[in-house]
Amino acid sequence: MSFTKKPGGKALDILQNLPRITLANLRPEPGTKKAEKKRGRGQHGGNRSGRGHKGERQRGNRPRLGFEGGQTPFYLAIPKYGYNEGHSRRAQYQPLTLNRLQYLIDLGRIDPTQPIDLTQLVNGRGVTIQPQKRDYGVQLVGEGAGIFAAKVNIEVQMASEEAIAAIERNGGIVTTGFYDPRSLAVLCKPVPFFLSGQPIPKRMLPGEDMVPYYTDAANRGYLADPEKIQKARIALAQKYGYVLPDISKDELFHMLFMRKDPRQIFFGLSPGWVVNMTEKKILKPTDDKLLQYYNS
Amino acid sequence: MFYDRFPERPPPPSDSSLPVLRRCDAAVPVHLSPVQTWVETLERRDSKLLGLVDLHPDVFAVPTRIDILHEVELWQRNFKRISHAHTKVRSEVRGGGRKPWRQKGSGKARHGSIRSPIWRGGGVSHGPRGPTSFYYMLPMKVRVQGLKIALSSKLAQDYLHVVDTLNIPTPDPQYLMDLIRYRHWGESVLIVDAGEELPENILQATESLKTVNVIPAIGLNVHSMLKHEVLVLTLEAVKFLENKLLWHDERFTPLYPFKLPYTDLP
Repeated sequence: MSFTKKPGGKALDILQNLPRITLANLRPEPGTKKAEKKRGRGQHGGNRSGRGHKGERQRGNRPRLGFEGGQTPFYLAIPKYGYNEGHSRRAQYQPLTLNRLQYLIDLGRIDPTQPIDLTQLVNGRGVTIQPQKRDYGVQLVGEGAGIFAAKVNIEVQMASEEAIAAIERNGGIVTTGFYDPRSLAVLCKPVPFFLSGQPIPKRMLPGEDMVPYYTDAANRGYLADPEKIQKARIALAQKYGYVLPDISKDELFHMLFMRKDPRQIFFGLSPGWVVNMTEKKILKPTDDKLLQYYNS
Repeated sequence: MFYDRFPERPPPPSDSSLPVLRRCDAAVPVHLSPVQTWVETLERRDSKLLGLVDLHPDVFAVPTRIDILHEVELWQRNFKRISHAHTKVRSEVRGGGRKPWRQKGSGKARHGSIRSPIWRGGGVSHGPRGPTSFYYMLPMKVRVQGLKIALSSKLAQDYLHVVDTLNIPTPDPQYLMDLIRYRHWGESVLIVDAGEELPENILQATESLKTVNVIPAIGLNVHSMLKHEVLVLTLEAVKFLENKLLWHDERFTPLYPFKLPYTDLP
């Protein structure tokens, strides 16, 4: 379109010749407000008032939901089995596809020149995490591995092998880290937490069942041995058939190698500190016992 | 059109070289152009135009939707409403515990209590119960759109005037009435300034007047705009409104309530 459209269109032109819009001129769009049928009044709402003719229906004496007249109802005939046993207590990880990650980076909602954290993903509204609903974080999923082309330092809670390969092929770094529910809530919504005035908690270590996952170099766990991780990177490159780029000669080398301490929630902030947003100050503990607790 | 309504006052010549006093701060979309209107002054009774002002089309030239204005107006009326109507049910009316007469043999109809809804003085079966609240919130973006539509319709129908400041020479209400009468603005005027501190003169002048009212820009609402015939904005008020109303077009969904600090909140 080479010509500019008239702002407001023809509606504003017509409006100039119409009477003034006042409180008396307002009306809803015709057809949006349908009058409800008042039961027991008038030709259509009255007579039997929508209850039918005689019997349990009209008299309001129908049996309970699921009753089949005496035959063993469906919900009792089928035997129980623990398909959904404890389903509300299972850990959930919100999937993040590489397609979506590329989309967010392209639109400028996520900055690839800084380490990508769950806080950055939530701030760019890339994922929605509900720590109260047994979400334990985000999992990187390999869909879109073919088109992914961004060099990032990303930290997630779980990652599939394909996704790790795709990111490392482009010269990036993946780490998987564990956040207990309280730390996750702090990580996802830092501003309300800082306003509450509580000291930053220390991140708890994973439970028994997740320790093998986070100490495994194949998953790039944050508790795994760095040398084993390097070997795993080379092995993955051989498996998927790409040349592993050398990151140590990269200009963003310092940013790509930024990693969090296992007890740290935010980059640059230690557990035990209190952040005061209104006065822009950080308060650090001085008591011995507190220091011992937060440094352990 | 302006000159159809008031044939005794011709419009200012369109080729007069009035300076543009204010351009739009935010970027105007490529396919639209800013709408313009004159800047007047309240210092003198006769209307001498100071210049032109650019208004952002996404705030002052949005397509008119009377149904959105209707929804916002209804919401403004009803969300604060608490109806205190309350009637007593048969169990709450004083008395009526004893059976008035025996079931059989008295020749009268059978009754269990003198306060049943059939009786005179008895309880009401399905009456209003207690304070009821009619609170509901329209989505924030619908309310913002309502404000934009009201501003656009005022501008399109020539009921919007922009003024440089609200400094008037006297605190006399008659001066304002003369000014409004001379300039043929209309019966009722709503004057909007940006900040909370308004000049003393205009506050005193409008205090006793019923049809002329001054409000800060945060208090601008669809009901007041439609109730008053004419809307007068200062240049700071225009800037404030554009800033606040345009932010909603390109914002993220709230992670936490907007009352808490955000980096990009205007």
